[in-house]
Amino acid sequence: MSQRSQFALFWAVVALVVAVGVAATVLSPAHGGAAQPQAASTASASAPHSYELTANRSTCGVGWGDGANAAVPGGAQSFTIANGNDAPMDIQLQEQGSKKVFLELDGVGAGAKTTAQVVLGKGRYRFACYPEDSQPAIGATVRVGAAPHGAVLSAGTAPLTRNQLNLVAIAYGKWVDGRLPTLKKQVAQLDADAEEGDLARAKADWLTAHLSYETLGAAYDAFGDHDAEINGMPASGTTALSDRGLTGFHKIEALLWSGAPAAAVAAQTRRLGAAVDSLIADPGTAQIDPLVIGLRSHEIVENAIQFELTGATDAGSHTNLATIDANLSSATIALGFLKSDLATRYPALPDAEAALASTQKLVESYHRPDGSWAPLLSLTRAQRERLNAALGGTVELLAPVAEIAEPRFTPDE
Amino acid sequence: MNEQSSNAPSRRGFLIGMAGAAAGAATTAAVTAGLGAAAPAAAAAHAAGTAARYEFHGAHQAGVLAPVRRSTSLLALDVTAQGAAGLTELLQTITDTARFLTTGGAPRELGITAPPSDSGVLGPEVTAGGLTVTLAVGASLFDGRFGLASVKPSKLRPMEDFPNDALDRAICDGDLLLQFEADDNDVVIHGVREVLRATRAGMQLRWRRDGFSSPPRPSGTPRNLMGFKDGTANIDRTDAKLMDQLVWAHGGQAEPAWVEGGSYLAVRVIRMLVEFWDRVGIEEQQQMFGRYKGSGAPLTGSSEFEDPHYERDPNGDSIPLSAHIRVANPRTPGTENQRMLRRAFNYDGGIDANGNLDQGLIFTAFNQDIERQFVTVQKRLIDEPLVDYISPVGGGYYFALPGARDASDWLGKGMFA
Repeated sequence: MSQRSQFALFWAVVALVVAVGVAATVLSPAHGGAAQPQAASTASASAPHSYELTANRSTCGVGWGDGANAAVPGGAQSFTIANGNDAPMDIQLQEQGSKKVFLELDGVGAGAKTTAQVVLGKGRYRFACYPEDSQPAIGATVRVGAAPHGAVLSAGTAPLTRNQLNLVAIAYGKWVDGRLPTLKKQVAQLDADAEEGDLARAKADWLTAHLSYETLGAAYDAFGDHDAEINGMPASGTTALSDRGLTGFHKIEALLWSGAPAAAVAAQTRRLGAAVDSLIADPGTAQIDPLVIGLRSHEIVENAIQFELTGATDAGSHTNLATIDANLSSATIALGFLKSDLATRYPALPDAEAALASTQKLVESYHRPDGSWAPLLSLTRAQRERLNAALGGTVELLAPVAEIAEPRFTPDE
Repeated sequence: MNEQSSNAPSRRGFLIGMAGAAAGAATTAAVTAGLGAAAPAAAAAHAAGTAARYEFHGAHQAGVLAPVRRSTSLLALDVTAQGAAGLTELLQTITDTARFLTTGGAPRELGITAPPSDSGVLGPEVTAGGLTVTLAVGASLFDGRFGLASVKPSKLRPMEDFPNDALDRAICDGDLLLQFEADDNDVVIHGVREVLRATRAGMQLRWRRDGFSSPPRPSGTPRNLMGFKDGTANIDRTDAKLMDQLVWAHGGQAEPAWVEGGSYLAVRVIRMLVEFWDRVGIEEQQQMFGRYKGSGAPLTGSSEFEDPHYERDPNGDSIPLSAHIRVANPRTPGTENQRMLRRAFNYDGGIDANGNLDQGLIFTAFNQDIERQFVTVQKRLIDEPLVDYISPVGGGYYFALPGARDASDWLGKGMFA
């Protein structure tokens, strides 16, 4: 996982925790049933029930309810939790039966107090504390009563553990591994074309190889320095043609489509072959971080929107739509590996899958019968708006996948 | 920059209302009575530092008659949703989002399974911030895509090129126009973000222009970027009877029934050649407008809200017969029903290749009948002296939908009845 992703994940969690708190604090049952939230100015009946909790190495969530067989009213709960431990800990609120997690506080500092809010319905819940350096402490089970009529309950989710996600990551890594020989062969073909001076064929083979690579989903530097060598972008203020340090697909694209001599192209296709060889040789290539697997489908489409839909990567071939098509395949594949885990956890998964499919169909409508792709700039305004809307709608549906597929502790750990 | 008659400085009245003064309270009461809706929630709340809130539900959209606020964003959009069902869902989503944004409160809590439902630009709790979100439809919405051709407002059409125009069609027209308007920029931007996020697949931005209304300098009507007070003689939006005659469209005859309570909206993005203008002498500037630059008074008078009394100046010795205010609103019995409700904003948009500033006016005007009012007046203004210093570049004709009556209603529902 890239630094960016790790930070994004961290802040997403922070933001969620804050949002949970705020929403629950002021939620009004009178408005809760509406499709959209309403102002909370009249939320007197639903003022949250507030609790001061403590957590340490052996106890977790003491202060919620009153000892054994504790029972509290349902609805908005406002917690102030003090970490009495001398090490940071993760704190969860779990529903006992479903094992769903309703609240998650990552890395609460040693000696720190943190606040959180959640809206709970009838059920049996408990806190679980996971100190960084010792065994988890599981709190007493608390019976929560029914929420006031109309309250909007916070959504919980059954955790996906690091182990579960690791299995997905291994399967995905194997798939990536299995695609690499094809990439190698296609790059070798491109190189052979260039060596022979057949630049017309080289153009076609460049596209084939490039789309293969784009299907692997290297979004957000999944392949690290290899990606910079294989598919890098020109430095700021330069073009793919003028940037002397640039190598890889876009350098070759710039040379091929600007009429550069075959020798210049061949020098770069040789380098590309070597770069792909070192990608294949790197044992890290197929080792996907389980943290990343949930982000992948979302980030691939984000990258497609940022770099392809804008035409930013175009170094002359005008094949951004082809790249977007490959990226959508890539996102669909990445999502597919998570399908069984998401099926029960993400109600809108069918919508996300349908959006990916219909967007891809729309993109492929620009693949002409002669095999060429319509340049982005040839699209009419209406076509362009429809394309932008389709990708925008898809990426909105993929965003929750990363949240749901974040590795979490389970009550059994 | 058309001139209308009336001497009600609406914005000033609103500001007094915000301060809780007696006169302001009276204004607020009048607005409430006249509109049944578009009044600030409680003057007391303002004193406590809480921003104004405009009631979302009503016969009319609140943004039409609400006082002009400091910040606005106009978004022209094309619908990408498919068919009548797709458009219906889109309009319902816009309505739901606008209802929440203009009411304020805690954003929807999605739990730990999704990114936050709100951008957080306004902090954990969304302030109403004096926000209105006004939705209007353009002529292109009534083509074959949504089966609405038979219910098009009769006067709705793409905006024509007037003789002095330099329209760039890339910043004209659109299936929809959304106007966000609030006391502060962040409230406007937040609203724009949330609505676009909620409708990502259903509509796409076609063009956009942000604007602002200046504070009174030093008093009276806000000034445009030519330095003149703009809107001094606007019609009195608190006069319900007048609004019924000049702003609200009525169903029946040529109009489909659903237009009742809506209003034709003319939007003109008018570039001002401010560098050129600043090189023009004060006498010439004032003669072009027909008003004193400093006070805003008509050149026949001495204070801003005075009647220009054209009958005492029949030959244009004080206010030339070609002056903007005189041509736009001659104040003759035959032209009274041509007046419209103007809501003008300044814009400041960047630079030209020649190094000049792109500044100007976002002229918006609500009309009962766009032909009888805006188009007639605009035709009269053809070749007015001011045209050398302005250049209309964008905009369009739209129809501001009737209001959403209650929590189960949605903007545009009447089109599908």
